[in-house]
Amino acid sequence: MDPEIIFETVNLRKEFGALVAVDDVSLKVHKNSLHAIIGPNGAGKTTFFNLLSGNLEPTAGQVIYKGRDITHQPVHRTIHFGVGRSFQITNIFPNLTVFENVRLACQALGADNFKFWQAASAFKKYEQRTWEVLERVGLKERAFDFARTLPHGDQRKLELGMILAPDPEVLLLDEPTAGMAAEQVPELIALIQEIQRAGDKTVMLVEHNMNVVMSVSDRITVMHQGAVLAEGAPAEIAANKEVQVAYLGGLYELNV
Amino acid sequence: MAKNKFFSALKPNQGSLITLAVFILLPFVVGLFNGASPAQVWTNGSGQSKFIQGLAIEIFILALYALSYDLIFGFTGLLSFGHSMFFAVGAYLTGILLKNFGFSLGATFGMIFLAGILQALLFGMVLPRVKGITFALVTLGMASVFHVLVISSELGPYTGSDVGLQGVVAPEFISPASQRLRLYFVTLAILIAVFMLYKRFVNSPTGRVCTAIRENEGRALMLGYNTFYFKLAALALSSLTAALAGMLHTIYQPIVSPNVAGLGYTVTALLIILIGGVGTLNGALVGAVVFRLLDYGLRRYIGESASFINGAVYVAIVLFLPFGIVGTWRLKSAQIRQGWERLAKLWLIGNRRD
Repeated sequence: MDPEIIFETVNLRKEFGALVAVDDVSLKVHKNSLHAIIGPNGAGKTTFFNLLSGNLEPTAGQVIYKGRDITHQPVHRTIHFGVGRSFQITNIFPNLTVFENVRLACQALGADNFKFWQAASAFKKYEQRTWEVLERVGLKERAFDFARTLPHGDQRKLELGMILAPDPEVLLLDEPTAGMAAEQVPELIALIQEIQRAGDKTVMLVEHNMNVVMSVSDRITVMHQGAVLAEGAPAEIAANKEVQVAYLGGLYELNV
Repeated sequence: MAKNKFFSALKPNQGSLITLAVFILLPFVVGLFNGASPAQVWTNGSGQSKFIQGLAIEIFILALYALSYDLIFGFTGLLSFGHSMFFAVGAYLTGILLKNFGFSLGATFGMIFLAGILQALLFGMVLPRVKGITFALVTLGMASVFHVLVISSELGPYTGSDVGLQGVVAPEFISPASQRLRLYFVTLAILIAVFMLYKRFVNSPTGRVCTAIRENEGRALMLGYNTFYFKLAALALSSLTAALAGMLHTIYQPIVSPNVAGLGYTVTALLIILIGGVGTLNGALVGAVVFRLLDYGLRRYIGESASFINGAVYVAIVLFLPFGIVGTWRLKSAQIRQGWERLAKLWLIGNRRD
């Protein structure tokens, strides 16, 4: 087992009836890298993420994390291994405060979940961590607003905060900038980069914004119709004729 | 300084303390209005006071029962249509153990506790498999089986079939006939204890996760919570409370009607928390008071057609107070306060013009 490989899939496959959403994907993710997954709509990127995070059970194949087979682990174990996941469609607790959203994320990995005779506010370590995280993603001022009242961009930040809270080693970010105003995107991407570099984290990123992907990624995997079409460093991918035809329709000149 | 600290602790609980004082004084005040001295009330000598105490005991029991439903439905988001079973098991078991087996009250309580846990585990068995409306239907099925058992003629010697359980004699020291005031205070104390436990539970790490499950169970799973255990914890606490309410019901009422095992009694719990406010806890208490008094008042002054008006009032409450009395109050209280401030301003301006 190569210690440099933190996440690995072996012939991972997911079928929905006759549709093969993920078709024998074998992928190696290097430790402390930023690994982007791109591909046209319906390429199976989100399904692939669902298989990695345990939201879906694969039809065949294995998911290996740090040399350990986690393919059939239940979804609530994922974060306990050190894998955090965010969703393309904002997935928060809308009727709880921003603070409580993050606090719940902090509490999850502690050993105090069943102390029903104590008030939640008595556990200062989680509250302290919550403030740190809110500071980091820039939502400190809105801590006590209901999450549903946040603008979309802030909800995306909240979602990022919720997976940062338990300090996972691997972040699976499914289109973190989806639906964000264009001027907010660089800020969030800078934040993700900063987190990845400062915390020695591995980030897997699904992203549609080509300029972002090309500039931040260490490695890129291109998926097309469920299968891996190409994999390599950004420059290699940009130069790849097949990718240009499949994904970019051969019309787009990548300016790398 | 110590005194200040004491009073500042009282301040946020003002409402609860006043309510508590009202209920402690209630039997004596009613007695006074009826020409009975507190000493007479103390020795259960005032008929009118005893009657009001009885009504209040019924309300306390309903409130306990509604609280238990609010915990699983209002806080954890589990829609159960089998909740009446939790109550009925407590009610029937108490009656049967006291009457047929000659258990002491303490031993009965022990069995109720056990039965409460077992019921929660029974519902817990289906928890991971069914969600939402399917869970409601499965729990309805289980409760219906229990209802059928209770009214079956084979179990008649114990349950009294469709006539109901009769002739249960409550232990002398809390007998509803001779020691009603004591029973009143025991029931009140249990209600307060359970209410405080619930308040703490919903604000504990466990309860907060229950709320998260109600809001978005998928997300709670992704955060790393094995939601099954949290739902089971809420179910267990709820089941214990409902069974305890059932036990008190049997002690107070000499007759256990099989109706308490039916769907109608689950709807009663739902109705009470809809009136009071779902997911508020206080709403269960307010709802129980409104529900029982409305029922009693209409039945007494209108008679048979009361249930029609009753229904109309419930519809009106749901239409005009969609979040229940407490829920709507919490939403509106800020606006109402502003309204009073505006009114005060208007009044001042009006005075100046004069």
